[in-house]
Parts: sequence; C-alpha cells; structure tokens
Amino acid sequence: MAAAAETSSDRTLRNAFGSVLSFFILLLIGVLAFSIRLFSVIKYESVIHEFDPYFNYRVTQFLTKNGIYDFWNWFDDRTWYPLGRVIGGTVYPGLTLTAGTLWRILNSLNIPLSVETVCVFTAPIFSAFASWATYLLTKEVKGAGAGLTAAVLLAMVPSYISRSVAGSYDNEAVAIFALIITFYLYIKTLNTGSLFYATLNAIAYFYMVCSWGGYTFIINLIPMHVLLCIVTGRYSSRLYIAYAPLVVLGTLLASLVPVVGFNAVLTSEHFASFLVFIIIHVVALVYYIKGILSAKMFKVAVTLVVSIGLVVCCAVIAVLIALVASSPTMGWSGRSLSLLDPTYASKYIPIIASVSEHQPPTWPSYFMDINVLAFLVPAGIIACFLPLSDASSFAILYIVTSVYFSGVMVRLMLVFAPAACIMSGIALSQAFDVFTRSIKFQLPGISGKSEFDAGDTSSSSVVAANDAAKPDKSEETLKERPSRKNKKKEKEQVEKASVEKASTKSKKEKRLLVLPLEASVIALLLLVFLGAFYVVHCVWAAAEAYSAPSIVLTSHSHDGLHVFDDFREAYAWLRHNTEVDDKVASWWDYGYQTTAMANRTVIVDNNTWNNTHIATVGTAMSSPEKAAWEIFNSLDVKYVLVVFGGLVGYPSDDINKFLWMVRIGGGVFPHIKEPDYLRDGQYRIDSQATPTMLNCLMYKLSYYRFVDVDGKGFDRVRQTEIGKKYIKLTHFEEVFTTHHWMVRIYKLKPPRNRIRGKTKKSKTKTSATSSSRKSVARKKNPWH
Amino acid sequence: MAKFLLYITLTISLLPFLAISFSPEIPTDRRVLVLLDDFAVKSSHSLFFDSLKSRGFELEFKLADDPNIGLQRYGQYLYDALVLFCPSVERFGGSINVASIADFVDSGHDLIIAADTNASDLIREISTESGVDFDENAAAMVIDHTGYAVSNTDGDHTLIASDDLIKSDVILGSKNIEAPVLFQGIGHSVNPANSLVLQVLAASPSSYSANPQSKLSSPPSLTGSAISLVSVIQARNNARIVVAGSLSMFSNRFFRSGVQKAGSSTKYQKSGNEEFLTELSKWVFHERGHLKALNVRHHKVGESDEPSMYRISDDLDYSVEIYEWSGTSWEPYVTNDVQLQFYMMSPYVLKTLSTDKKGLYSTSFKVPDVYGVFQFKVEYQRLGYTSLSLSKQIPVRPFRHNEYERFLPAAYPYYGASFSMMVGFFIFTVVHLYSK
Amino acid sequence: MARSTSKDAQALFQSLRSAYVATPSSLKIIDLYVCFAVFTAIIQVVYMAVVGSFPFNSFLSGVLSCVGTAVLAVCLRIQVNKENKEFKDLPPERAFADFVLCNLVLHLVIMNFLG
Repeated sequence: MAAAAETSSDRTLRNAFGSVLSFFILLLIGVLAFSIRLFSVIKYESVIHEFDPYFNYRVTQFLTKNGIYDFWNWFDDRTWYPLGRVIGGTVYPGLTLTAGTLWRILNSLNIPLSVETVCVFTAPIFSAFASWATYLLTKEVKGAGAGLTAAVLLAMVPSYISRSVAGSYDNEAVAIFALIITFYLYIKTLNTGSLFYATLNAIAYFYMVCSWGGYTFIINLIPMHVLLCIVTGRYSSRLYIAYAPLVVLGTLLASLVPVVGFNAVLTSEHFASFLVFIIIHVVALVYYIKGILSAKMFKVAVTLVVSIGLVVCCAVIAVLIALVASSPTMGWSGRSLSLLDPTYASKYIPIIASVSEHQPPTWPSYFMDINVLAFLVPAGIIACFLPLSDASSFAILYIVTSVYFSGVMVRLMLVFAPAACIMSGIALSQAFDVFTRSIKFQLPGISGKSEFDAGDTSSSSVVAANDAAKPDKSEETLKERPSRKNKKKEKEQVEKASVEKASTKSKKEKRLLVLPLEASVIALLLLVFLGAFYVVHCVWAAAEAYSAPSIVLTSHSHDGLHVFDDFREAYAWLRHNTEVDDKVASWWDYGYQTTAMANRTVIVDNNTWNNTHIATVGTAMSSPEKAAWEIFNSLDVKYVLVVFGGLVGYPSDDINKFLWMVRIGGGVFPHIKEPDYLRDGQYRIDSQATPTMLNCLMYKLSYYRFVDVDGKGFDRVRQTEIGKKYIKLTHFEEVFTTHHWMVRIYKLKPPRNRIRGKTKKSKTKTSATSSSRKSVARKKNPWH
Repeated sequence: MAKFLLYITLTISLLPFLAISFSPEIPTDRRVLVLLDDFAVKSSHSLFFDSLKSRGFELEFKLADDPNIGLQRYGQYLYDALVLFCPSVERFGGSINVASIADFVDSGHDLIIAADTNASDLIREISTESGVDFDENAAAMVIDHTGYAVSNTDGDHTLIASDDLIKSDVILGSKNIEAPVLFQGIGHSVNPANSLVLQVLAASPSSYSANPQSKLSSPPSLTGSAISLVSVIQARNNARIVVAGSLSMFSNRFFRSGVQKAGSSTKYQKSGNEEFLTELSKWVFHERGHLKALNVRHHKVGESDEPSMYRISDDLDYSVEIYEWSGTSWEPYVTNDVQLQFYMMSPYVLKTLSTDKKGLYSTSFKVPDVYGVFQFKVEYQRLGYTSLSLSKQIPVRPFRHNEYERFLPAAYPYYGASFSMMVGFFIFTVVHLYSK
Repeated sequence: MARSTSKDAQALFQSLRSAYVATPSSLKIIDLYVCFAVFTAIIQVVYMAVVGSFPFNSFLSGVLSCVGTAVLAVCLRIQVNKENKEFKDLPPERAFADFVLCNLVLHLVIMNFLG
C-alpha cells in the first residue's frame, strides 16, 4: 500500500515535471526555429527576397491600405497590360490575409511595425508554429518523446528553411504550418472520434486551401489513407467521423475560396475524395447491416447486393469515365499532370518546364536538404509498423507519397521534409529509449526495480502470477507510450529468442531484453554526435546556402565584400525617371519586382497565366529590331528591360534564358524556330553564332556598347568573346545601364517624323564640310 | 530717364504682339524666311511674294550664302516657315544646313522647296530628307512631247502644261482650277509605300525625264505619271512641305502668260499657276485643313464626372470637340466620318461619332463584356487634313462580388432546401433533447 | 435459382425489418432526419437535371447542405448509439454539443455560398 501510494505520488510528480519540461522544450524549439531563419536579416538587410514574395508584398500593401473588400475585388491594371489581372480571383489569399491580420493586430496594440517588417518576419513566426504542430502530430502517432524530437528536427531541417527564411514571403511559409495542423487534427479525430476535432479539421483544411495550391495533396492523401484502412480491415466508426464531415465541409469551404471556386467539385484532383466518400458509405452500411443481421442472412444479403450492385456500379463508372475522358487533359490541371507524368511538361507546356523549381532534384540535393534524416527515415518506417495503428499507417503513407512527389519536382522537397522529420523523430526517440532503458537496467542499485520492469515485459502467464506485475502494469500505463511500444518491440525480440531457448526463467529473459551497457553508452554517444552533425549542417545551410536574397548579390574579393545592388538601382531609376503610365517590357521573371518596386505597368509577370502573351514577348525578343519594335509598339510599350550578367559573371541573365524565350515564342508563333538560333545544335554567342542569333533583339540589347568596356567584349558568363561587337540600334535607344551592367533599360524610339526618300546620301560633298558639322550631322540623324 | 520710360512703354506695348505671334493657338505662320540665289528673284517672283504678304506674312529675304542667316538663336526659332528659292546653292551660309532644316521641320515648321534645272546636291538632299527623290541625272528635265505648252520660244518641249491636279478641296481650294499649270524644270518620284507624301501635280503619261540636250542612251528611269512635278508632304507632327521641281513656275512670267496645251484647242488667257500656287501656299502655311481636338470627355450615363475605372456592361458617353482653322479663327469642323474605337489590342467597339454641327462630336455605347485596360482611340487621317490621334487609357474591371444578380428565381428550390435543412436541424435538436 | 433468390430476398427483408424495429426510438428519430435530408438532396439533383445548373453555386450549396446534414446526423447516431463500444465513455451531451457546433459551421458556410 505504501509502495502504491509512493508510486502514485512519484507518478504525479514525474508527470508534472515531464509536462513542465516539455513545455519549456517546446518554447525553446520555437525560439530556435525563429532565430535560425534570421541569418539573411543579419547578413544583408531586412528585405524581401526573390520574385514571388514581391508580388505577395504588393498585395499585402494593397490589403492594408484599402481593406478586405477592395482586396477581394481588386482588378489590377498594372500587370499583364493590356489584359489586366483579377487579383481577387487568382491569388491564394491565405498568406496575405494572415500577414494583414498580424499587422492590424500589432498596430492596434500600438506597435508601429511597417508592413514590410511584418511580411519579412511572417515566415519565421509560422515556422515556429509549424514545429509545435509537428510535436502535436507526432505525439498523436507515437508519443510525446517522439513528438519533441520531431519538432526539433523540423525546426532546423534545411529544406524547410530554404523556403521560410526571414524575407521569403511566399505561400509555403504559411502553408506548411496549415498542412501539419490539418494532418494533426485528422489524426486526432481518428484517434478520439470526436466531432469537435472534425470541425476543427475542416477549418484547418480551409486555411490550407486559402494558402497554397498544394492543398490537393491533402485531399488526395486522406482519401488514400481511408481506403488503405478499409482495405486492411481497420474500418471503424471513428474513421467515418474523421472522413465524411471533412469531405462535405471541406469541399464547401474550398469552393468559397475564389481561386478554387467550382474546381473543388469539377476537377479530377478532387474526384478521389468523392469516390472514397461513396466507398466509405457503402462500407459503413455493410458493417451496420452486418451488425443487425445474423450471419446466414448476411450472406444472402451479400449475394443479392453483389449481383444487382455490380450492374449499377459498372453503369455509373462507365458514365463517369465518359465524362472525364471527354476533356483532353481528363480534368487534371497542367501542373498536376506534370506531377503524375514527369515528362508531360517538357513535351507540352514549356513554361512549366522552364521554371527551375519544377525540375527533378538531384541525389545530392536530398542529402543537402534533409541530411541525417535520410538515414533515419527507414528506421522510422519500421518503427511505425510495430505496432501498426491508424495514425502510424497514415504517417507511412504520407512519407511514401511525398518521397515520390519530391522526386518529381524540387519544390516538393518541402512537403517531404515534415514527413521525414516525423519518421526520424520516431526512430530517434525509439533508439534513445532502447539505449537509456538498457543503461537503466544495468546500472547497479536499480536492479530491484529492474526485476519488476523486466517481469511485466513478457506476457506469459508466469508473469501474471507475479503480484508485483500489477502495480507495474498500472505504472506502465502512465509512463510515456513510446516506452511501452519499446517494450513490445523487446518482447518480440524476446519471443524470437525464446524460440531458440526453451527456458522461460525471468532472469534469463531480463538479460536478453537489454543491450550491453558499454554498447548502449557508446551508441548513445554516437546518436548524440549524429544529432550534433545534423545541427551543424543545418546552421551552415541556413547561414550560407539559403539566406541569399536574390535581389542583392555579394561576392568576396581581396578587398572585402562587394555588393551588387543593381536590380534595385534599375527599379529606382524607372520609378523616378519615367511617367506613371509608362509600360515596361521584360522577361516574365522580373514582372513582380518591377510592379512592386518600380511601380510601373508590365506586360508579363511571374504568374504566367497567359501563354500567348508571354510568347508575344518572347517572339519580340527573338526577332530583329524592326519586327520587335512593331510588336512592342502594338502593346504600347515604352521601355524594355534586359538583365545582362556578362560583365560581372552573373549566370542567371537573359542570354542564358534566351533559349526558353525562343521555345515559348516558337510554341505559339511558328516562324520562330529554335534551330535557327543554334549552330550545330549548340547555343553560342561568339563569332560562330548564327546570323539570326546575332541580329535578334536580345543579343543587341545585351551587348550594345559592351565592346567599349574592355576593347574585346569578353563575356564572363559564357567565357568567350562576343560575335558581333559593333552594334547599332535603329529603333531603340539606351537610357540606363546600372553600375555593373546587370540591368539595361532601353526606350522605344517614336516613329520617324518624315520618311526619307530612297536616294542614298552622297558622301563626297559632305567631306568638304567641317568636321564639326559632320559630327553634328551624325549625332542629329541617328537613323543612318 | 524719359528715354528709359519710353523704352519700357514701347516694350510693354509690343509684348502682346510678340505674345500673339508665339501663341500656339494660332497655327498660321507669321514670319517666313525666304532664301534666294540672288535678289533678282525677289522682283521676278514678286506676284507670289505679294500674295503672301497680302495675307499677313512677314517675309524676310536673304541670300542663301549670307553668312548671317540662321534659323534659331539660343534655342528659339526665329522664323515660322522657310522658303527655299535657291536651287543652285552649294552650301548655306550661317548655321543652316540639311540637319538644321530637318530639325526645323521636325519641330513643326513648314517648308517650301523649289528646285530647278541646275539643282544642287544640297537641294536634292533636302528633298530626299523630306521624302521625294529627284532624278539622279543632274541634267535631266521633264520632257513631254504631247503635253507640252504651245509656245514660240521653247522647241524641245521642256515647257509643259499639266492639268493632272490632285482632287482635294482642302489642298487646292474649293474652286476648280480650269487652266493647266505651266512647268519647266526637273521631275521627282514619290515612293508609293510612303504614306506621308502626296503627288499634287503629276506629269502626263507621255512625259519622261531626260537631258534635252543629249540623245537618249538608255530608257529614262522616270516616265509617265510616276513623275511628280509638285508634291506635298505632311509629316507626322503635321509640319507641311511643298517640293516643286521648277522655280520658274512661281515667276511672274508664268503667272501672267497664257497657256495652250498641245493637242487641245482651248487657249487660256492666264495659266493656272497663280491660282494653283496661291491655294497651295494657303494649305502649306496651315490656313486650311488644320484641325484641333479639344475637351475629350467621357462619363457614365447619368453622371457628369469622369470615373477612373469602368465596369463591364456599363453605359457610357464620350464626347470630343473638333475645330478647324479658317485662316483667322477656329471654326467648328463638320463631318460625319469621325470614328471612335474602344480598343484593347483590337477594337471591341467601333462607333461613328455624331455631331451637333457646332464642333461637338459625341456618342454613347455599352462597355463590352470583357475586362482589361482599354483605350478610347480616335484616329482621323484624311487627305490634306492634319491627323488627329487621340488616345485615352481607361481600365475596365469585372463585377465586384456583390454586383452579381441575387435571388435568382431559378435557384429558389436550392434556397428552400437550405432553409428547410436549417429548420429541420432546429426541430430535430428540440425533439432529440426533449424526447427522453 | 431465381425462386430461391426471391425467397431469400424476402427472408432477408423480413430479418432486416425485425432487426430494425428493435432499435431505440431516439435513433429512429435520427434516421428519419437523415432520410429527410437525403430525400431533399435527391429532389434538388432531379431539379438540376431538368433545369440545368445555372446558379451552380446555389445548387452546390443546396445539395451539400443536405448531404452535410445527413452525414453529421449519422455521426451523431454513431456516437449516441449505446451499442457502439468505442464511444461508451463519451457523454451524449458532449456528442450533441459537437454536433451542434459542426452544424453551425456548416450552415454559416452554406449561407455564405448560397448567394
């Protein structure tokens, strides 16, 4: 009795201690997640990175200035001139609404942070939330220990850091948090069967739909899991409660978001959920009827239903297939199809294929992005099988599907990262458990207790006789679940061993359940080293690899740090030296930045929704000067912006992207043919380049006056001298070139006032005139 | 002190006149620089110059190689128009050259060029800059063996009488010019692809351009009606240029002489030169055919102020006022073919504007069902008139989320079903709670 | 063969009916509610097939409100059913409260989507 009382108070004390400790650990994990993403702010400045975040930033500015109704109905006439873009209906509002709300709350508390600051720091804040969500999710799957480990792994995993550094204000920053929370609520509903969590699950799913186009992953993964549970015979009414309200409420909520709208019921991406919805109803009905009928009657019912039902089913499926097959892409969107068939995009949609984020990843990038977790994931998968519960089967399905999709597109490594962290967390915590338990068993002075502990691990009746087993069993239920699972694992080891050994003496069993003390100590140390290696790699990746805001470039030279701020220089020039209504044409990469920073109307931007428009710009860039001038004039363009990296060695400039312009332009305008720009299949810009290449607008605008820099025109990126050195522009004039020649801006010349006659100008007469008059004549008549 | 006051008052009293002459409201030129080969031309062409002076022009006569001439000083143009009656000048004096003349035209000023048999390369170059090409053969003249003017002196048929005038009331006045025009000089050709140039006086189909002194060694390059005797060019900024291949057609002698075309029996007492060239000079100096458009206004039907953005399926009104300069004042321009385009890469709406005969053109239409950034475009280019190119950008947005139709009758069953669900839910909760 | 199946079918229906009668009345009320919802949904689908799907959002919201109500009622039935061993320690008041909350969310969304 006294022992029982002592153990119960011990128990509560240990519990209290454990929960306080885990609370502090979680707090620290949140701080870690936040601070590891601040490298870019420290090394550079608090600025928004890349291209897409600038668009989100501009939208957030509009939202904070004009309120939600104007934002919901916003028609943007400063992009995709002259088509305009209905922002309200084509943007995922989750991120901007979140940041806007945050800003409004902070401002109402009289903390006057600017919108830019809120936008820059939204991603780190939400990554802290995401790691807490991972803790919750893994706790549901395996237990609190695994949860803490998974949370700390997610806080630091480089793949997630790459898309959520301070300044990377993109959809994924918020979407990953929404993803994990949705999964957590689903698993929680599955485990408890409570409608309350089902409601919360639907709301979290709504938040996910608002945030990212990747929500289709959820709405396909969950039905897949439900199907898996049904097929493996794990159907229960909790499954029904978890799934059916989610489908109905989720579809409704998804249709509320304007971007998705009716796609929530009409596209093939959602059909899986409806199919499984029907299947789960059928299964539920079957179980219900099985419950109220006797066995014989049930068999009769089955035969009857099967014979009639099959006919009906086939008819319905035939109709459905006819409907779906009638559309050429079978109802899938282009991006989804390119996920399922990795070669689809390069054959049919060059725009999707040209985005660097959509390329398949290389093997080294796996190691770079998830590092040590790559080894722990298989161990975690095995741990999930012992024992298999609904939640752990979900985790296994999640990781298998995300591994496949991450192999198709680099961008989806991000979805793979949380799954890897969960699995690795489970594996690590299990391993730690085994080793610490081994050490605990074998330390002298605790051997008395260890008898009890060892006693209840075997489920044979020998132990049942041991009356010490009972309080231990109750004690066991209060301990963390991973330890119990661990014991089950040990039990299986024991059972295997006991096959060999006939003896069932408890002492012998006790010996076999643990690993030798030295081995476990060393193994523990090695695990700690593994963790340390992981931490070092993550911090290095965050600091060096993923913190660069691509708007500002740096290079280390012998006289210190050299900063290339050419982009902002060019946008500022545009902002201050052109009229408000002037239109700027450039390749679509720079559209968002131009509208956000230079505040000028652009022709195409990163949204890439209209392929023909982009192809028009691509054709203009690939055509000779006069044709290009005609095209740009018909679009009312005033300025053309070109990015050129040849002087400083910046590799992502327009000349390197030029072949994509040709391909995309050629996809719509057949007179642009890619082989015209290649010499023997090779892309060259030196003297061996084809005449079409040397005469196209992009070449001329990039290399105009380049030979004046060093006399030879040596392009540092392509590592050759350029082919055509002395370039004359007849329809464009250069208005601005940045400090390092990285951005060059040209203006379209207005049409000539008088059209000259055909007689050639005589040279002999003017030679008698003074040289000053000649130079005046040359300067004043630029069309010769 | 008194002198000082006098100067002050003089300048102040002169200021309004100076201001008027600079005013853009009056497009007619005032100060004309006439460059001559020698001052004999001043008297031999006095009828032409007098007609100009009688219409209020201030002519300043200078020799072409006078070292003091210049078109502008300190960035301000000194003259509004230039007349080049110096076909044989090799080099201009002062600061005038081909480039400065080209700039002069490009800044909106008018030009009359008269070449002749001994036209220098410089004059040819200026004409090429304007858009016409003189015959490359320096000694060639226009010869017409069937359309020449009957005369006692000329034997080689270089004095020709041409009545192939352009049919345009704007350029040549409403009165029909009966008598043919006498011409003796060089011909030029006009590029048919050049949309800015018009042939005003063309040679007859039987004419050709060759050296009258020597035998023809090869077929002449310019023949027939392709030879233009007098052409006009209206540049894109509405500056007007007249290029004539004969200086003598402006002379008093030709003005006063009678003309009889070979092969026709009618003998006219007076040639058509004076009438022709006077009317042409009126056109060149913007006394006719000069339009301006003012007060572009657009608004939604029923409102009066201009919105910054329209919505699809809005009804809107558009109005513009167009005036024509009559030589002394702005008169309303009356026509029925001004069209408005509502344009976004292609015209979605094309409407002819209706006029109220007082210069106001207006129309109203419904915004099409497409959203985007549109332009109100009025492109008016008629022969002889200045071109009007108006364009105003206006975005058109789609419906707001609360501008769609609500409470459609077709959807009543759905509304009914949803409300019945809510009612059913309420009843059910009551029943469920109290049915123990 | 056909005779035996029809006899079997009859026997089947008999046993089904007798088993169903044995269920408590509170569950029967829920079943009635579910049937009402499903019936309304079927009416709407037939109406749409006849008239066409013009205000598609109204159609969707109407149908989904019916289907949602049915599903939530079934969930409530599962939770309240005393024969269900998994939910024996779930107080029926809690189940009902969850049900009400979920329905509130459903109807709020329906109202939003209807117009």
